[in-house]
Amino acid sequence: MNPAHIRKVALCAHRPHGCGPVRSPRRSHGTTAHVMCGLSAESRPAHRVLTLRPRTERSIPGPGASLAALCGAMRVWSSEHVFGHPWDTVIKAAMRKYPNPMNPCVVGVDVLERSVDGRGRLHSHRLLSTEWGLPSLVRAILGTSRTLTYIREHSVVDPVEKKMELCSTNITLTNLVSVSERLVYTPHPEDPGKTVLTQEAVITVKGVSLGSYLESLMANTISSNAKKLSRWKPLGPTELFLPVATIVQQSEPQFLP
Amino acid sequence: MTSESAATAADVDAMNSVGEACTDMKREYDQCFNRWFAEKFLKGDGSGDPCTDLFKRYQQCVQKAIKEKEIPIEGLEFMGHGKEKPESSS
Repeated sequence: MNPAHIRKVALCAHRPHGCGPVRSPRRSHGTTAHVMCGLSAESRPAHRVLTLRPRTERSIPGPGASLAALCGAMRVWSSEHVFGHPWDTVIKAAMRKYPNPMNPCVVGVDVLERSVDGRGRLHSHRLLSTEWGLPSLVRAILGTSRTLTYIREHSVVDPVEKKMELCSTNITLTNLVSVSERLVYTPHPEDPGKTVLTQEAVITVKGVSLGSYLESLMANTISSNAKKLSRWKPLGPTELFLPVATIVQQSEPQFLP
Repeated sequence: MTSESAATAADVDAMNSVGEACTDMKREYDQCFNRWFAEKFLKGDGSGDPCTDLFKRYQQCVQKAIKEKEIPIEGLEFMGHGKEKPESSS
């Protein structure tokens, strides 16, 4: 993934009072994309793409610069979950299971590399095969008949500090979309019998063909007048967004050859 | 969506490998690893990984499958066995 060519867009919160208008920038590489949240239409044609620059500092403090590189930088979705079990129990289960809501259907897991570093932390690199189970419309939009997606995961388990950090990103379909996520398991600060899981995700759309395809698809199937729909919620450093958008739209119609 | 594996909370060691031929090796390795992980590593004894041989065999199979399926894995040195494995070097 080359951040310089990525227009990262935050996913809009799915709320009625939702988002403001978005203005599209000048096209530099043919097309741009912005996220459509699919709520009520606005007639304002101008859109702004919220370009989120990659940051190197982490929202959640912790080691692992390599994990940050794998994960990307901007948090656009995050959640916290508390398990009613101690950290050791949760970690054992986490290594054995794949209860990850961002990856809906993991069908295969392989360990590519595993080692203990000089600090006694276990590093694992895994390859996950997932079946996204995309609806046929979305698959048609993506222009792929493939449903099997591969994801690469790097995890670090520190048994002394009691911290497990997991970063994953898709390594196929990267020309269309990039989903990176980071999970951190730590003991609950107030109750050692509990464990906190913090999840972050970044979804990046590299919208050249996707945006064009969707625009033409929408124009053809929904209306002859493509409406510019956008709802946008201002992104603040602590804003939490629920990932909703599954379609991107371009400001000007462009048809794929 | 395939129905073979449960949607979200399936056991990793009951899952398949990316290479169909590697699944048995994978499960054998996973069982060994899970035991070591729970009984040794998490208790502070990270040395002496007993699963090295199993892992080597499994890894070779997986490498082959990845090449055959042209899965774009980059940045790992396992293909060339260039990475040191501290847990087996002592």
